[in-house]
Amino acid sequence: MEKGHDHGQNKYGMVIDLDKCTGCGTCMTACAAENNVVVRPDESDKERSITWMLLYKITNGKKFPHTEVCHFPRPCMHCEEDGNGGHHPTCVSVCVATATTLDSKTGIVSQIYTRCIGCRYCQAACPYHARYFNWWDAYFPKGKGLERYLSPEVSPRMRGVVEKCTFCHHRLMRAKNQAYSEGRRDLKEDDYITACSEACPARAITFGDLNNPNHKVSKLIKSPYAFRLLERLNTKPKVYYLSTKDWVREWADNPVPHVSPSS
Amino acid sequence: MTNPANSSEKPSQGGLIFFLAGFIPALIVGWVIFPMVLYSKQPQPINFNHKLHLDPEVVDGIEGDTETERCLYCHGFRDDGTFVGIPVAAQCTECHDDPETPLGDTRDEEEFLTKYVAGEKEVPWLSYSRQPDCVYFSHIAHVKMGNMDCSVCHGNHGESEMLPPYKENRLTGYSINIWGKNIAGYKLDTWDRMKMDDCAECHTKKGHEENNACFVCHK
Amino acid sequence: MELDRRNFIKIVVGGAAGIQLTPLPWKLADDIAIWTQNWPWVPVPPVGEFTHVGSICTLCPGGCGIEVRKVETRAVKIEGRPDYPVNPGGICPLGAAGLQLLYDETIRYTSPMKRVGPRGAGKFMDITWDEALDTLADRISGLRDRQRPEALAAVDGNPIRSTMSLMIERLLKAVGSLNYLRIPSAEDTYEMANTLMLGTEGPMAYDLENADYILSFGSGLLDGWGAPGRVLNAWGLWRGKTLKKRVRVVQVESRASNTASRADQWIAAIPGTEGALALGLAHVIIKERLFSTEFVNNHSFGFNDWMSADGRHHMGFKTMVLDQYSPDKVARITGLSLREIVSLAKDFAGAKAPIAVCGKGKGTLNGSLFELMAVQSLNALTGNINRTGGIFMRDPLPVSPLPEVELDAIARQGLKKHRLDQAGGMRYPFTRSLINSFTNNILRSSGSPVDTLLIFSANPSHNLPDGGAFKRALKDIPFIASFSPFHDETSHMADLILPDHTYLEKMDDVVWPTGLQYPLYGLSKPVVDPVYDTRNTGDVIIQLAKRAGRPLGSAFPWNDFEAVLKARAKGLFDSGSGLVGYSGSRPAWKRQAGGIRPDYRSFEDMWKKIKSGGVWYRPVDSAGDRQMSFKTPTGRFEFFSTNIELAVKNYARKTSEQTALKQMGFGVKGEEAFMPHYEAMEPEVDSSAYPLTMVPYEMINLSSGWAPTPPFVYKTLFDTQLKKAESFVEINPETAAQHDLKEGDRAIVKSTVGEVQVRITLFEGAMPGIVYMPLGFGHTGYDEFIRGKGVNPNSIIDAGTDPLSGQPVWWNTRVRLTKV
Repeated sequence: MEKGHDHGQNKYGMVIDLDKCTGCGTCMTACAAENNVVVRPDESDKERSITWMLLYKITNGKKFPHTEVCHFPRPCMHCEEDGNGGHHPTCVSVCVATATTLDSKTGIVSQIYTRCIGCRYCQAACPYHARYFNWWDAYFPKGKGLERYLSPEVSPRMRGVVEKCTFCHHRLMRAKNQAYSEGRRDLKEDDYITACSEACPARAITFGDLNNPNHKVSKLIKSPYAFRLLERLNTKPKVYYLSTKDWVREWADNPVPHVSPSS
Repeated sequence: MTNPANSSEKPSQGGLIFFLAGFIPALIVGWVIFPMVLYSKQPQPINFNHKLHLDPEVVDGIEGDTETERCLYCHGFRDDGTFVGIPVAAQCTECHDDPETPLGDTRDEEEFLTKYVAGEKEVPWLSYSRQPDCVYFSHIAHVKMGNMDCSVCHGNHGESEMLPPYKENRLTGYSINIWGKNIAGYKLDTWDRMKMDDCAECHTKKGHEENNACFVCHK
Repeated sequence: MELDRRNFIKIVVGGAAGIQLTPLPWKLADDIAIWTQNWPWVPVPPVGEFTHVGSICTLCPGGCGIEVRKVETRAVKIEGRPDYPVNPGGICPLGAAGLQLLYDETIRYTSPMKRVGPRGAGKFMDITWDEALDTLADRISGLRDRQRPEALAAVDGNPIRSTMSLMIERLLKAVGSLNYLRIPSAEDTYEMANTLMLGTEGPMAYDLENADYILSFGSGLLDGWGAPGRVLNAWGLWRGKTLKKRVRVVQVESRASNTASRADQWIAAIPGTEGALALGLAHVIIKERLFSTEFVNNHSFGFNDWMSADGRHHMGFKTMVLDQYSPDKVARITGLSLREIVSLAKDFAGAKAPIAVCGKGKGTLNGSLFELMAVQSLNALTGNINRTGGIFMRDPLPVSPLPEVELDAIARQGLKKHRLDQAGGMRYPFTRSLINSFTNNILRSSGSPVDTLLIFSANPSHNLPDGGAFKRALKDIPFIASFSPFHDETSHMADLILPDHTYLEKMDDVVWPTGLQYPLYGLSKPVVDPVYDTRNTGDVIIQLAKRAGRPLGSAFPWNDFEAVLKARAKGLFDSGSGLVGYSGSRPAWKRQAGGIRPDYRSFEDMWKKIKSGGVWYRPVDSAGDRQMSFKTPTGRFEFFSTNIELAVKNYARKTSEQTALKQMGFGVKGEEAFMPHYEAMEPEVDSSAYPLTMVPYEMINLSSGWAPTPPFVYKTLFDTQLKKAESFVEINPETAAQHDLKEGDRAIVKSTVGEVQVRITLFEGAMPGIVYMPLGFGHTGYDEFIRGKGVNPNSIIDAGTDPLSGQPVWWNTRVRLTKV
């Protein structure tokens, strides 16, 4: 697994068009519903709330009535490198339990809950705050029956482990099963997309194989308006953004995307 | 200098015996009692005769060149490529369609028809091969795309006339078929155990090392 | 050989050594490690066969298509439906989290119940459906026996024109009561504006996808307005074009909402002055002769001054606008600059396919009638009516009407009584229902004129902008029956609960989603079997009527609600053309060449397909192009409403015209009242004591309507919107400085009717002098996910009255802020 980043066939990635994004939050709820993300009675404690996909809100800082707002949907970036020449992402290189790895065949950074020892080192190492720690067990009190909506495709997590966006890896497995059933090994572009890109009502999120020149994502990242978050860290994220607004692109290189405009 | 307290006594004669008195029971506890205590044993709700059902003379339509193809007759794939696993009663009643008229003459079939089919209940089969929730396993990837036989992992289950009792590890809740039939971890046949290392060993042997990546089998 | 200390140690050493040579320690260590991974309280979702069920979402009147993913009998995910014309694949944040409303036992009524605790405590006891139906049927029969059928009233939150709303109105009518109240929404105001100007009771139909210029007067296009799945998809299409061809979106709103802050141009007019701005734009368009003379001359009435048959001179729209709404004056009213107004008018009129959209926020609450009419007059000036990329004048969906109710003597007698809310009377002739006035009537009366109140799909205790008046009125009503599936605040005041299914368990229809440009009928179906002992309220009404005896039962001759829906759908078939299948390759808003050939053979075939596919629609075709037969009294688009004129004259017969106008809520005199005009609706409150204005706002990721907000959605809120139990108000840093407030401070917002404690967040996108409060917080019902979070702005709203429509003016409550 640690043979460097000579990926076999696929390099799955995402392009998020910030001109189209309306900040509605559907990506966040669709993600939570898809991935059995735990929800607690108080989700306003943002240091404890788990959100594989998170909206950051930024403003252009101009006074009324020239204020503009932009939301950054932030999944796991599935970085290629650690920024210091190491051929795996920062979270992977610090993991003492080999609970997270960069899959050489898909480019997806995995997270294995049963392997994780909960040291939270990866969480500290991630420059995008994409990793979350389970401070408690999943909240499914007796008599509420909320566990009935849980999907069997994603394991519910126990307390004491770290979790993060997996690019809906189980959907890749689902797509593969479907393809095998039809007697093919190759996936078509639409076979495997993440829950957030599927749900986005403005069609702002595009998902596909960055290694495949025919996929929409490969074309989109050639746009002069394409960029990645904290690009100068050299972590080579596989999540790209598009924005025609200069102030938005300037923000993107800011080391800490502010959560709220006023803080 | 010697310690007077020590030199005054000769080494105890029964030293070895006392040692063995600890040693041998420990071996017995570890090798015999421990496995008995560790695993709970539970019979299946009713018996199922695999051998009989795989006989083309008995079951109409169960044809196929290989045993695997015949297994797939009941344990098949759905259109989305997922594996059916243990068939639901609705699948059985495709043949056993009338609760009043059994097709054979066993008491198990009678019980199946009266208790489950007539009562519209599912048989609470105990699955020998259910992997834990953290594991993702695609049957179609192995059987259809990998051309593997069912028996590689499931052994000669298809030839059995009786369902063996289901044994579950009391601590982990996993079936003995997953966790290893031999308490020492010796593996005589490929189907003796289905732990992570067993999967990896096979992947490596077949030259699919890339499939040992964590996310291939974990969810 | 005795077991001395030494030998004992040997045994222990032997035992320890022996154990090492067995698998026990290694196996045990391994097993314990595994044991720690599998706590019994961490749920393991059962596996099984995956299936998908297509249906539609009725959490809001938008009616988006949804596809529910199931494992065996459990629903595990809600996704958008790519094979549904409204929302090609997308969904909104609430819709995606809907399963939490289905499976949360503690927010649902699991069976019929009767109250055992004090009202409002939410303490109930299970009863059988028989007992529940008998109780209510007896109550209704009792009222009729006592010749008081009008003492039965209903509050209905079902979308306007839906079959459920017809059923409820029908029940009341058959009993003999006119007191059918609706939760006011933008749809009600749209209906009035369209009736007066276009002559159709059909819905607003905006061809958003084909327009090239969108001028929205406060409509939260990106904040949940219309069918969110459709409007947000349209936004994606607008933004998907190359920079030069991008559709220009202009938002008129005082706060940088999602829509305003992303629009190409944000016009921050003072809230409530949107109508003045529209008329100011009309002034520029008329003065610069940028309007469509073709439309104005051939298809409109009342644009120019005219002489009536009796020889009297009448003022036209043109004269009024040129006299009254000079950009100078409008700039003063709206707080905008002259230049902004003039250039906006020119841009709008110069666009190829401009649309002016109206209706505030999500449209959950009503708009202002004359503001909507002013905006519609802009659409008329550009002549962009019944044209690609314009607004469409549509007839209502051709669903069959239900047969007339046969009334008995008691019912006939009851229907002669006045409505308690004065809607449809002399003062508010064009309004169907006025719940605020209904509430006031109850509060003013010594004994409640309402004996039994039925509440359907509504939570008026929490959602009405009335400063908590409805909640107080409920205490005076002797008997309340709620049909809510959820433990909402209003149902907690009820004596009897007859729980409905949730939207995922029932069949229900969506009659033309808000704002859609083509006719569409959506039908939801049960995607799972009912989880609890609940019943479709449509069925319950039929059962109730049958129990209440013959005259009532004969008004509901159907076996179940499905039979009613089917009877209504017959009209769709009879209309001649339509489609029940949608592939996604051909969007329904793309103009189809030629006519539309139905993809069904017979009515039975059509109904079967609607039941499985959930939709009947007629894509945009060229049939209605430039068809300008308006059904107004003049047969034209009425800048000057002859209906309003008639209504005022009618009223004036009993008194003077001046008194009539005043009684109807007008602040203007003369013929201006018959045309779209602007009236400052300043509350009569001492502005030194209450120097600020509180404007409630709606968010797409917080339900402000009847459906509760599913827990997942709270993840999407920022901690500058909700922090633990406290919600925030947005104010401009400048306003904050004047009140010595900093980010995160606690403050009391006090109006003349109440006060709430909030926290402060500073936002440059907030207009100075205004306190912005989100709608959707402050619940006391439901469960720990929803209740005890923030405060409800409705509880401090001191609503005025909108002229002529009589609906509440909820957007300008005067308040003061005091630091805590």
